[in-house]
Amino acid sequence: MTVCNFFLQGRCRYGEKCWNEHPRDERGGDYRGTQQPSRGGYGNRVWINPSQRTGGDYVQPSSFSRDGDNDWSRGGGGADVKSSDFSFSGQNRFSALASHSHSDKDVQSPTDDVDTIQKDMEIWQTSGQWPFSCYSVLPGKLSGFVEVSPEELRLEYYTGRASGDLQAYMNSVQQLADQWRSRVQELRTMSSSTRISVISELNDPSSQTSTHEFGSSASGFGTTSSSSSSSSGFGAGGLFWIQSEILGNGTNYISDFFLIYPHASGFGSGAFAQPPSGFSAPAASAASFSFAGPAADNKSSAAAASSSVSAFSFKPPPGGSSGPADGGGFGQSSTRAADTGLFSAHSDLTAEELKEFTAKRFTLGQIPLKPPPADLLVV
Amino acid sequence: MSLFGANTGFGSGGTGVFGTTTTDSHNPMKDVEVTSPPDDSISCLAFSPPTMPGNFLIGGSWANDVRCWEVQDNGQTVPKAQQMHTGPVLDVCWSDDGSKVFTASCDKTAKMWDLNSNQTIQIAQHEGPIRTIHWIKAPNYSCVMTGSWDKTLKFWDTRSPNPMMSLQMPERCFCADVVYPMAVVATAERGLIVYQLENQPSEFRRIESPLKHQHRCVAIFKDKQSKPTGFALGSIEGRVAIHYINPPNPAKDNFTFKCHRSNGTNTATPQDIYAVNAISFHPVHGTLATVGSDGRFSFWDKDARTKLKTSEQLDQPITACCFNNNGNIFAYASSYDWSKVQSQYTSGSVISGKSPSPAAVVH
Repeated sequence: MTVCNFFLQGRCRYGEKCWNEHPRDERGGDYRGTQQPSRGGYGNRVWINPSQRTGGDYVQPSSFSRDGDNDWSRGGGGADVKSSDFSFSGQNRFSALASHSHSDKDVQSPTDDVDTIQKDMEIWQTSGQWPFSCYSVLPGKLSGFVEVSPEELRLEYYTGRASGDLQAYMNSVQQLADQWRSRVQELRTMSSSTRISVISELNDPSSQTSTHEFGSSASGFGTTSSSSSSSSGFGAGGLFWIQSEILGNGTNYISDFFLIYPHASGFGSGAFAQPPSGFSAPAASAASFSFAGPAADNKSSAAAASSSVSAFSFKPPPGGSSGPADGGGFGQSSTRAADTGLFSAHSDLTAEELKEFTAKRFTLGQIPLKPPPADLLVV
Repeated sequence: MSLFGANTGFGSGGTGVFGTTTTDSHNPMKDVEVTSPPDDSISCLAFSPPTMPGNFLIGGSWANDVRCWEVQDNGQTVPKAQQMHTGPVLDVCWSDDGSKVFTASCDKTAKMWDLNSNQTIQIAQHEGPIRTIHWIKAPNYSCVMTGSWDKTLKFWDTRSPNPMMSLQMPERCFCADVVYPMAVVATAERGLIVYQLENQPSEFRRIESPLKHQHRCVAIFKDKQSKPTGFALGSIEGRVAIHYINPPNPAKDNFTFKCHRSNGTNTATPQDIYAVNAISFHPVHGTLATVGSDGRFSFWDKDARTKLKTSEQLDQPITACCFNNNGNIFAYASSYDWSKVQSQYTSGSVISGKSPSPAAVVH
């Protein structure tokens, strides 16, 4: 049976009697019908065709005409609903997406998610809403955002005021604001490295939970390195504490980025612990880890770190001390680095990861997070 | 306090006497302003329960105090009493018999205030500021539930210094609501937990948040049989989610709506998005009121999915709201909510207005 196009748009006149197929919304198990763009199709159905409703406890569309409030009139979204109920108002942003996602209701493709993220970031930047909030593209959560409530911030201000030291408060707020701004900008402009890391994060929610736990256990690290670590910092008692960590611990600062992606932790510490083996100073190597384009922002290099684990097989090692021709030197440095846990052994990798590493190209979405084995490196 | 002096004769009891030509953004709705408001932002409001005659309003503020006013039938307010904490007060609630008030504060303690004797005693202690406090009255037990930024939810018998029970939460508690036998707690990092309170409190379900941003406020609503059936959750992003616990059809029954945003019709310029600071349900009609950082309050009908009314814009954000026990009075607090992250003139005011009945409000 063909799927009824009118039903998808929410305006099938035949309802149950229609000869075409009306796909039922069973897949919406965890689909709370909130902001998903495809909701537009089903939402329309409810309000346009009350005859299709079995429940009967919905008010008929004619009663909406009394609501002349402008806020709702533009909730037309993907359909000409005069009633403009508020299940649509979530649609406005996605009205462009709603039309093409009708056929793809059960799974949001990663590119849709990325577009959603970009749009949301743009709105977040321009709307003046509270910046210190976590963010998620339902159902996955994105890292890099600090979650602080206004009350917590206010309490910090009041305690600072009482102790006479407001400067620490101002500095911390400035830091949080800068971190937020850079993260939002990074997600909005969505370079290819950010895109890859975001997609892998959304596809692999376990990496998110590990980030969170990492943050709570690694609470000794500064704010900007890990969003969740700063949240535990707040819980533990104040911005002043975080402040001193950032100032006091410069060397750990860079290495913290790589601790965000636990699989790459060996990578990070290996890189910085072995300068003689061809890896240059931390700052320079952090910069050269970026996959594409300049990564001026530390956060994006952190994001790039996970993808650059795979990038390792494409590019010569950072520091450039061993060029492509210097196979021997490279082999040497890599074996030395392997001793420090920079590369994975074959036995550490799963079959799929091994397949990825041996393949000519990585498949998007399956780029391994573990570092490659040293002998598979193609230089 | 100086707010009264600065105002062009607006004091308590002035309802539209001075004409409509001057647009007074401090109280544009011409509602009754409560006398002697706290000196700093008001964080929470609570009206007395129906078991007590008369309407008494409790307000906690960032000036470390909790004040009690009597709201008389003609709308006049009379300040009655005040108690202090050593830190800003974040939440207040009444006991079910109306004789005690529970207050939760950033000084990591919660106190019980006996109104008859005007004495307070400490009943709870946490490791971090206590963000929410609610009174639970079950057939076989009664206790106070406190949610704190130390990621725990504790239940206290007011007679004992140790909690009856302590539940661990994944993150800091940001807001909570209790309607026996259901309790909902929204935490940081978009956590949402429902507890069932029969026999003893236990975690019922963890829910994947329907909202994308930080949770700000939550309120439970009841069905026609007065049983709690779901909740409304507000975020910092000008959005409220209506979520039923066991709906027949989750995809259709649960929904979100945008509110407290500027620029309703003009989609060309970027919208200003404001946080929803508090949500309150009308005890009789089941309509909900939301108040936001934009300085407006709105009434909504969640079953008809329509907006009933939006107020004019006040000059300050509205930080708290509350209906009285029969729904005739709606109180809202106008004070700075820290949404701009810096200190502002924070003197607040509490305004109580006649709660509009749905019939009168539909446009």
